[in-house]
Amino acid sequence: MSDARTSLSRREFMVGTTALWISATLPRPRTAEAAAAGTTPQTLDATEWKTVEAMTSRILPTDDAPGAVEAGCVNFIDKALGAEDEAALPAYRAAVAELNRHCQQRFERPFADLSPERQDSVLRDLELGRVEGWQANDAAPAAFFQTVRMHTILGFLLDPRYGGNRDYAGWKTIGWPGPVHALGGSQPDQMLGTRRLVPIWERAKPTGHHDHD
Amino acid sequence: MKTTEIKDVCIIGTGAAGGVWADACTRAGLEVVALERGPQLGPAEFMQHDELTNIYRNDGFAPDWRDTVRDAAGEEARLGRSTLLAQCVGGGTAHWGAASWRFREDDFELLSRGGPIEGANLADWPIAYDDLAPYYDRAEARLGLAGLAGANPVEPPRTAPYPNPPHPPRLATVALERGAKALGYHPFPLPVAINSRAYGGRAACMNGGQCSNFGCPIHAKASTLAIHVPAALATGRLDLRPNARVTELVVGADGRVREARYIDASGAERAVRARTFVVAAGGIGSPHLLLASRSARHPNGLGNGSGLVGRNLMFHIFSYAAFELPGPSMGALGPNGMLAVDDLHPSDPKRGFARGAVIFEAAEPGPLWAAFKANDYLGGSAGAWGKPLKDYLRRFPYFGGLISIGEDLPQLTNRIDLDPTHRDADGIPLPRITYRSHPNDLALAAYFETRMLEIADAAGAVKSWSFDFKSTKGGTGHLMGTCRMGSDPERSVVDADCRSHEVPNLYVPDASCFPSSGGYNPTLTIFANADRAATRFLARMKQGTEIGLAPSIIPPPSPRTPLHASKRTFDETPLGHQTLEPRR
Repeated sequence: MSDARTSLSRREFMVGTTALWISATLPRPRTAEAAAAGTTPQTLDATEWKTVEAMTSRILPTDDAPGAVEAGCVNFIDKALGAEDEAALPAYRAAVAELNRHCQQRFERPFADLSPERQDSVLRDLELGRVEGWQANDAAPAAFFQTVRMHTILGFLLDPRYGGNRDYAGWKTIGWPGPVHALGGSQPDQMLGTRRLVPIWERAKPTGHHDHD
Repeated sequence: MKTTEIKDVCIIGTGAAGGVWADACTRAGLEVVALERGPQLGPAEFMQHDELTNIYRNDGFAPDWRDTVRDAAGEEARLGRSTLLAQCVGGGTAHWGAASWRFREDDFELLSRGGPIEGANLADWPIAYDDLAPYYDRAEARLGLAGLAGANPVEPPRTAPYPNPPHPPRLATVALERGAKALGYHPFPLPVAINSRAYGGRAACMNGGQCSNFGCPIHAKASTLAIHVPAALATGRLDLRPNARVTELVVGADGRVREARYIDASGAERAVRARTFVVAAGGIGSPHLLLASRSARHPNGLGNGSGLVGRNLMFHIFSYAAFELPGPSMGALGPNGMLAVDDLHPSDPKRGFARGAVIFEAAEPGPLWAAFKANDYLGGSAGAWGKPLKDYLRRFPYFGGLISIGEDLPQLTNRIDLDPTHRDADGIPLPRITYRSHPNDLALAAYFETRMLEIADAAGAVKSWSFDFKSTKGGTGHLMGTCRMGSDPERSVVDADCRSHEVPNLYVPDASCFPSSGGYNPTLTIFANADRAATRFLARMKQGTEIGLAPSIIPPPSPRTPLHASKRTFDETPLGHQTLEPRR
């Protein structure tokens, strides 16, 4: 089954014929180190940050539960693009600028200032690659969209040490208690749902291996 | 390092086969050096691994791995990281899922029982199930298997119970058992090499949920890292060298392998001499090393007179059924999976394909894994974002999975060779994978996918959906067949003792020697067969009939020869009109 997982992740790199820009390098320890330095922008400028954050807000929107904005996905992206994903930064920059130019031309305002409905419509066009007059030739719209989508998912679901999933917003939303081995494992009654596994955010601090809740 | 020192045995790779040999040989009093390409990892590193490092990419275990892949000869291969293998002390046993099976009797007699299949290169094994049975017993005891003997209606005969009881179920297991029984199957506890209670000096499983692709932070999961290598080290006779990347085996004037050349962690070229060499680098690494070890005597690669080194590559073909239960699955808790269905494994020509597969429950180990399945759940490659994606992710606690390990048929054209274009950082040609599934494999995978979706539906799933793995190449740690075992030197690379037909002190006891893939996770069979080969090697040595070790023919230590600056041009093998050693 491990085999299956690897295949899946590889397949995820290719959506249709769209290769993600982050397929060659991915956030690893350097991203965590960058995230440890704080949540102020390190890589993206203010406009880029705002634009990317607006995109993430539509990819995992906020409803009665936290979304990408509350989870700080853009912070994760900012740190990743300054670390293992730095190779993707020029394309990100070019695509963000082109996206805003495109929105300015069509709607007379940048992407972040559009209504959510209009943002969704623009993102759909990006995803399907049907953007007329896109001038960032090295940053195709579909690849840009898929890269931001994957980055948003990673920022939502990875360990907070990488700069996203703030206050475990992602894990709380989807019902994942945290890495179970770091929680001391689980017991048979918890595997059968008759006793609750206390999630990581309700614990004072992560317990050791031998401390079963 | 003293290059003039001659070890009794040099083992390349410390996974299942290499670990077993290191353990057996040191226990028998031999001086062993083990060269492991990867680092020494342990619980501290495993606690730092997460879905990003180990599932999104295999950075936790093979950060430097590169290979190239193509469908067929004549095509240009794509550069990538197509295989899931672990490069660390323990090899694949450090991150395996630990599902542990005995191959059945018919798995050793594919050709004679089923007859030839067009396009496939079927063969019987030169050994039978009965030859392996006592070594399966021993492997199960050593690894501490948890399972229920007699519960699999199609399992081969066995005399011993499993050493440990089955693991407790999760909610998904209970539902799947109900569903499988409703369809008339005979579900049973998945046999796993994970401690269900403290055993062998190792802790009981803490039900952490991340086994496959992950190292076990408490060594409840059996591995050569936790068992065989420490035992060998405890004898004082194992010289374990991690971060030693072997680049070439050098043959001496007597036709025997004389030394292994390797690059150490600092990038320096080194060499080690030994009387016997055991290549246990896996179904890609082993043939790759033999093919890279060319000399005038072995122009097509070491021991490759048959031309079969690297051929008959098998991966297994996987099908996967994901499902969503109406309530929690607890898919993230407990070992890999707890339930298996094997009723459909035996070959049945009425199904339109030969051979079969085992089915078992898969864990739902973390949210990223779930996120990767969103497109399939949502029914397309576009639109998997926004509210649909978020609502999908919130169903994570209800998800579960079933996987089938389909037997793939050996084909001569499926192979590993040396990529003519791409080289790694050390200048060594990358292994090139040429692989296309046999039509039989595809029909088999489709059949099992449907059966698993039926089981999920019968288990009460509110939704079940499949992934298409059939076009995947090499996305597996099950790497088999590339140094086939057989009695005919024209049609196989090693003999029934896993010894090269051509080079008398060279053994390949890993899954490279498998003539067929079995439709079961291969690792228990690697353990058992490597133990069998090592036991027979040690018996011959004790009798004084092991040619690699007989004192009269041990080559005298040569004066140390400085390694050339370029390892690719080195060839100090004097040429002569020497014949191969007589085969026995």
